[in-house]
Amino acid sequence: MSWIRERELSFLERLTANILKAGPMPKHVAFIMDGNRRFAQKAHVQRQEGHSQGFEKLAETLRWCLNLGIHEVTVYAFSIENFKRSKEEVDGLMELARQKFSRLLTEQENLEKHGVCIRVLGDLTLLPADLQQLIAKSVVATKAHNKCFLNVCFAYTSRYEIASAVKEMAWGVEQGLIKSSDVSEVLLSECLYSSNSPNPDLLIRTSGEVRLSDFLLWQTSYSCLVFQSVLWPEYSFWNLCEAVLQYQLSYQSLQKARDLHREGQALQQMEEDRSCVAELLQHRGNGKLVDSQSRQKELLNYIASREERVRCFLNALQHKRDTFFSDLSSQAFICYL
Amino acid sequence: MTILYEMAWRFLHALFYVQRALVAWFRVHIWRWKRAVVGLLLPLALGLHKPKKTGTISKRTSRRVRCGADGRTLEKLPLHLGLLITEEEIHFTDVANLVVWCMAVGISYVSVYDNQGVFRRNNSRLMEEILKQQQELLGMDSSKYSVEFMKNGTDKQEHQVLSCQSVVKVLSPDDGRLSIVQAAQQLCRDVEQKEKTLKDINVTVLDSLLRESKNIPDPDLVLKFGPVESTLGFLPWHIRLTEIMRCFIIDRCWD
Repeated sequence: MSWIRERELSFLERLTANILKAGPMPKHVAFIMDGNRRFAQKAHVQRQEGHSQGFEKLAETLRWCLNLGIHEVTVYAFSIENFKRSKEEVDGLMELARQKFSRLLTEQENLEKHGVCIRVLGDLTLLPADLQQLIAKSVVATKAHNKCFLNVCFAYTSRYEIASAVKEMAWGVEQGLIKSSDVSEVLLSECLYSSNSPNPDLLIRTSGEVRLSDFLLWQTSYSCLVFQSVLWPEYSFWNLCEAVLQYQLSYQSLQKARDLHREGQALQQMEEDRSCVAELLQHRGNGKLVDSQSRQKELLNYIASREERVRCFLNALQHKRDTFFSDLSSQAFICYL
Repeated sequence: MTILYEMAWRFLHALFYVQRALVAWFRVHIWRWKRAVVGLLLPLALGLHKPKKTGTISKRTSRRVRCGADGRTLEKLPLHLGLLITEEEIHFTDVANLVVWCMAVGISYVSVYDNQGVFRRNNSRLMEEILKQQQELLGMDSSKYSVEFMKNGTDKQEHQVLSCQSVVKVLSPDDGRLSIVQAAQQLCRDVEQKEKTLKDINVTVLDSLLRESKNIPDPDLVLKFGPVESTLGFLPWHIRLTEIMRCFIIDRCWD
């Protein structure tokens, strides 16, 4: 399969993998695959070749992840900022994407066998129409697969994603599905492009840069960040193991920090709910005091109705997103007739 | 077989803990060695002819001179430097020293963050410690460097901006995701009240709304102290292009 290398690990690699797997393993790893252009310069090849090698390395890395029991991977393939690069380079990258997504569509059997679900996160409307359609077809074709997940961030920046999530919540308010008081950290997370995935446990950036570069800023707040100096096309199984080891060393502290954050979130929500109920009772009441039992009952009713509103809104949002992809995908079908 | 792998895993982790401890030990001793060398050479560099009774210039004077000297060697300074403390036990003196060094070197905006909100709850203690270290480390020059402590929730600048004024801001997770959520709530309320439409919501609008309530400039550089390899909720919106560097506080190096 072109997107996942079919190669088994060597004996030493298998041994190391088994030892690492005795400890806590990340379930979701994100990669900033940086260093393709520097590699091309180093190897005296064209930039396009560097990007091509970068894709090959992605296929290899996905295989290693599966071997290590990591079933969800998110990669930063193309940033909205990258549109500012030379037309030649951008066109080259779009062409590479066309080739790879077209190839993917011819490997349906393999994809089904490995249960690979491909998701593409970003503002696809910024891409050429034909590439949009190829992507939509790939996403729709692999939607039902659930053994492993590959999220490709294409035409993506985190700030754009967060603003888009806020826009979705505003859409919900406009449609009368939710109230502005329903907006919370949890709801915002559910409106991001990555809402169907858990937050990454580990983020790896290659080529020695120590920035996040507008990638998953919200989702990686409590992730283990590992910056490695190796260039992406030169990435090795041992580099991956090193990153996983780093994750394992930080695991306890990260769990603690995440639990603390979750507690804080729950408290915040409770505060918000209580405040809303107090306001509600004030509006409803005629200056009469409400006893604590009735107040508690009101609070529970309010929470139940809020959760129902949110549930309906999220269903509507998922439907809107699914429709976008299926419409785009079926357009392609009509074009080819 | 599983038990063997588990044992091998524990051994591997034990090796790493030992390696970390050794590296930390070497780091302390090499730093102390360097400091001793500087302590001996500095008087020669400054052209002091009469060494004091102990034969070396006082630690305090050497620290002050170093602060200024460090600043002059830097070609480019970050506008906003963030100190992200992930250590279990927080040493206020160490953090205060770092803040004072930042001020002396000429960094105009310094933020201090921990994910448990310890600095936020002990804001005044940190403030006192910073003023104390400012006096100790900068001595005569300390009047040149005035520090503006940003109170939580208010961002009104009470003093005029002087040439060597630094702003110190204590941050907590509330300034991160929670601030974004509050801005989102505001925008949704505007849509609810038909004051805004969906078209009015974009990155620029969200960004300006965030700057309106808490005008925190994007950090250029974050120095992360402690063993946890994570930002632990530090200003997710603002750290888009921030360089994140691991640093180590060499315990009690300032004595």
